[in-house]
Amino acid sequence: MIFDLELILDSIPQMLMGLGLTLQLLFLSLALGTALAIILLLMRISGRWVLAAPAMAYIYIFRGTPILVQIFIIYYGLPQLELVRESILWPILREPFGCAIVALSLNTGAYVSEIFRGGVLGVDRGLKEAASALGLSARQRFIYITAPIAIRLSLPAYSNDVVSLMKSTALASTITLLDMTGIARTIVAETYAPYEVFLSLMVIYLVLTWMIQRSFGWIEKRMSRHVRSEI
Amino acid sequence: MIKKITQSLFAVVCLMTFIGIGTASAEKLRVGMECTYAPFNFKNENGDLMGYDVDVARGVAGLIGADLEFVCQKWDGMIPALLANKFDLVVASMSITDKRLEKMDFSDTYRISVGRLVGKKSAGLKLFDSTDKPIPANFADLKVGVERASTYADWFKNELPKANVVLYDTNESLYLDLVNGRTDMIMTNPMKAHLRFLSKEDGAGFEFVSPQIDERKYFGIGVGIGLRKGNDELKARLNKAIKTLTDNGYLESYALKYFPFAIH
Repeated sequence: MIFDLELILDSIPQMLMGLGLTLQLLFLSLALGTALAIILLLMRISGRWVLAAPAMAYIYIFRGTPILVQIFIIYYGLPQLELVRESILWPILREPFGCAIVALSLNTGAYVSEIFRGGVLGVDRGLKEAASALGLSARQRFIYITAPIAIRLSLPAYSNDVVSLMKSTALASTITLLDMTGIARTIVAETYAPYEVFLSLMVIYLVLTWMIQRSFGWIEKRMSRHVRSEI
Repeated sequence: MIKKITQSLFAVVCLMTFIGIGTASAEKLRVGMECTYAPFNFKNENGDLMGYDVDVARGVAGLIGADLEFVCQKWDGMIPALLANKFDLVVASMSITDKRLEKMDFSDTYRISVGRLVGKKSAGLKLFDSTDKPIPANFADLKVGVERASTYADWFKNELPKANVVLYDTNESLYLDLVNGRTDMIMTNPMKAHLRFLSKEDGAGFEFVSPQIDERKYFGIGVGIGLRKGNDELKARLNKAIKTLTDNGYLESYALKYFPFAIH
């Protein structure tokens, strides 16, 4: 087969027009998802059954079902209910962008809260005991001792999740959004040239992934300065 | 003696041949169609063939004085079967395209390829002027759903580049989002829209909000009767019959059995 170089050069700028939307989806749902993850984490480690059980159920549901199905339920399913169409949430759920943000945030929140929990559980028990020996309250112990260490421990897994969230934004193209993947699919439908267009799209995503990994690599290094200086 | 027998045998054979020709003097045309493509060609619960294509085929056969034999053929093998002489005509809602014209011939059209906008009845949309030209200003602030890379998407891109067009992957999601209020109107094939949406409960509050848009540049020529190349005499007779059916309102009456509007 002949590779249509001209088509590639022509389609890459077109797909990059969707980069803004892809990044909006990524950063907005990352911020909302992380906030949700913290709430879920606090509920789970609260030690109170009424708080921990709903959080566990939520995490189980959102980690246990495909994100594409979640997007479809939110986009196509919810408007079937009169209740939703008349609620104050409708201006958000009416827009495909709002639906994508809601779905991606809810989904990533479940994953990230488990990542954070792993970080919290990884904090050495001795440190907490030392803190309480110093007379710090439970809240102070969490904020000054547990949280900073837990964040550092969670970072590698968290960066993984950011990459996978970035890839999940492509699913927004299934609900009419013209992110990079949505534009690529339109070009393919018009030109019948899936190889050239999707391969170029892959390269763009790989560059994005590389940038995310480098950023987190830098943050990890910075947060572990004290460890390296000791060696 | 032997010569005599030979002569009489020859005479008998000649006679039989003559009679044979005599009984088959009504031309016999075999017509290929899918037989599963309602409401154009399909079998009803009694197993009888029905539909717009079937009516057209019968109408044409009646006018050119031919006997019909219907042959059910799957879509992907339709053109090969025609070329292999399994039947003589294709009356199967086949659109006339340049690619198909390389291999076969078509009569004039007996059905159009058009697009039409569907919107909410209560919205009071006034999108086209009295000459059926779109009024671009009236499309502002309205969202239009179309299928990705369809002829309808093409039409909007070129004729109303400023319209707010939303691209969908399936026909069904077009209707869903129109009902949900995510789009103000959709553009699609009016026959599909009628069968799958407007005639159903969900489509009750909706109607066609535009005339039929049939610019050949986007929507092609339409649907014709397919035949093998080199049958110009037959083609001329088919065209004449289709013209008669059109002029005398038969095509419209065939369409009205299945749709509330004409489709030629």
